[in-house]
Formats: sequence, structure tokens, C-alpha cells
Amino acid sequence: MSSHPTDFQGDILAAIRGAVEGAIKDARCEVTGGNGHYALVVTSPAFTGLNMVASQRLVYSAIAHLMKGAAPAVHAVDSLQTKTA
Amino acid sequence: MNDQTRTQIETTVKNNKVVLFMKGNRSFPQCGFSATVISILNQLGPKYETVNVLAEPAIREGIKEFSQWPTIPQLYVDGEFVGGCDIIKTLHASGELAKLLGAEAQKVEPPKLTLTPSAARAFEAAAADAGSHVLRIEANAQFQYDLLFADKLPGDLIVTSQGRAIHVAPESARRLDGTVIDFIEGPDGSGFKITNPNEPVKVKPLTPKALKAMLDAGDKVELFDVRTPEEHAIASLAGARLLDQPAQTYLLGLDRSTPIVFHCHHGGRSQAAAEHFLKQGFKTVYNLEGGLDAWSQTVDPSVPRY
Repeated sequence: MSSHPTDFQGDILAAIRGAVEGAIKDARCEVTGGNGHYALVVTSPAFTGLNMVASQRLVYSAIAHLMKGAAPAVHAVDSLQTKTA
Repeated sequence: MNDQTRTQIETTVKNNKVVLFMKGNRSFPQCGFSATVISILNQLGPKYETVNVLAEPAIREGIKEFSQWPTIPQLYVDGEFVGGCDIIKTLHASGELAKLLGAEAQKVEPPKLTLTPSAARAFEAAAADAGSHVLRIEANAQFQYDLLFADKLPGDLIVTSQGRAIHVAPESARRLDGTVIDFIEGPDGSGFKITNPNEPVKVKPLTPKALKAMLDAGDKVELFDVRTPEEHAIASLAGARLLDQPAQTYLLGLDRSTPIVFHCHHGGRSQAAAEHFLKQGFKTVYNLEGGLDAWSQTVDPSVPRY
């Protein structure tokens, strides 16, 4: 994967995990990746009854601030899995 | 996002049953995720529109807000947001995407493919070791072929020739229509020969031995030497005419179906000449591989090397 410089200061993996677990009820978030590309597995009862787009929108809205701007911390989410349990 | 951008996006998704907001276009996707979705759409074969967000910065930002989705590409079907690359891949694997595109997925006719008896025998022998794999042939846009035993894929078209099922992905089907697959055993080894009438005309490489065989058989070929008169004087191939001005006039007056062979010293200059005359409409144009030097080494040592 290509590398994408960012002006974000700090631990991006922790920032993603914190943002997701803070925004989605009872969520557990596993993040892997680097250089702007990340893979997320998020487990939360909040996804119950939601389709894939709706579930993933919840996650994306939680990390939207990390994906904004010219040199964002998160350039792309290569893989996003949402589970209810 | 201003009202104009919103209206533009609304109109685009309303007026097109299937539309992909992507980076680049279907021929040259400029990001791996966009390329993945294009490849999936091409496999399923619906009629689809694309919007290149790299060319329209307002749309690039606007579509993210419009869909509440932070990344490109984004696929819309029937005015509804379906998802990005990840979701499209998941929906494709489960078969839901094909269902969603449903009636819109163009019916691609299976191509006509022919195996010669010798090719069928060769596949028969190979199939014994292929396990659950199926015989597959594909041709990409550059007409490079894949002929192999591989996994079955959803959406495969299946053609039977000589009792052997051949799988073809829909995107290859039109390129392969009318293709004949032969198996040729010769002194230099054996291999499959693919003859495809849709292939654009190319300069054909000709080995010195093959040229000798053509000349010995009395085949009607026109043989031209594209080197300088000085080189032609040092060493030349019997029957090859120096391509000077009168020879060029003669050549251009020939019927375009006449087989023509070009040679030079090592095969480089003659390749350029061959490509030039291919553009003049000649259909069967050969380049002597390795040039006169190879001829003198493999066919006629009496021709001096220089």
C-alpha cells in the first residue's frame, strides 16, 4: 500500500479505537494498519438490525474527524467489519 | 456543499440506474479501490455510468456529504447508495450484487470457441491432475491470453467443444468469439496456439528457418531489405529487394493481402518498417527475427557476417 503523510500528532491506532469506542455504545474496536491505511473490526450490539451501509456509517461518522483535511490521519479504511457479537 | 452541487449529484443518481463515483474512469481507474469496483462491475456486465471525482473537486467533497460516506468509490443503484469498495466486494461474493443489478445486468452471449482434436487430447491429459479446477480462457484488452485450469467463478459463461467445458468470464467473451485453440507438437517443443479473429493485426515474427521453409515451398512472399545500400552490398539475402525509393513505390502498389517480409541486420529497423507498412493497410507482415545475422548463423553460412 502507498504511504500517506499526515500532520496528525500521536498514536493513530489509539485515536481510532478511542473515537469508535467513545461514539458507539458498548463497542469493542480492533485496529490494525499504518501509513494512512487501516483495517477495523468493530463489535457492538448497536449494529443489531442495521444493514452493512448503516453499520459502517456509524463507524465512519465516529472517525470522520480523523479522515478530514488534506493530510488526514486516516487516508483509507481498507477493511471494515462490523459484528453484533 | 452548495445547492448546485447537490442538484448535480441528485440528477446524476436519478438519471442513471447504475452510477459509480470514482477516481479516474473505467479504462484508467486511478486508485486501487476504484479499480476493484470497476472490475466487479465489468464481471457482472451492467450498463453503468462513472463520474470522475478527480476532475470535479466539488463533487468529490459533495458526494461524501451526500452519501454520509467518507471515501471514494461510491456505487449508486436505482438512486440508492449501495456502498464503497469493501461492501461491493462483500455483496459480490455473496451474489447479492448480481441480484441488485438484476435486470440491468446485460446478458452476455457465450462466445463461440473451438478446440481442435489435438487440443482436446492435451486438455484431457492435463485435466487428470486439475482436481476441481475447470478449463478457463480469458483475453484482456491487450489480447493477452490466459489459458489454464483454475477455479470456477460466479457468472462464468460455459462453452463446450469436443466434449470439454471451457469457462470464460463475461468480460472476455466478446473478445474471444470465434477463437480456435489448437495444440501443436513440433521439433522445438509443443504448445497451444490460439487463433482469434478479433485480434488486431500485428507484425508477425518470422524465424530464419520458417522463412527458409516458406521460400523453399515457393510461397508467394515479397521480401525487402530495409538496410542501407552499403550494407546490402556487403551481405544480402537472395531474393530480398533493397527498399529504396522505387521499391517503396512498387511495395505500395501491391495488393494489401500480399504477404511481406522485412529484414535488416538484427531485426530492429525491419520491425519499425514492418509496423509502418502495417499501418498502410497490409494484412500479413512479417519481421525476420534476428535479421540477416541470424539467417547467416542458422540457415545460410555463405552469407557473410559483419
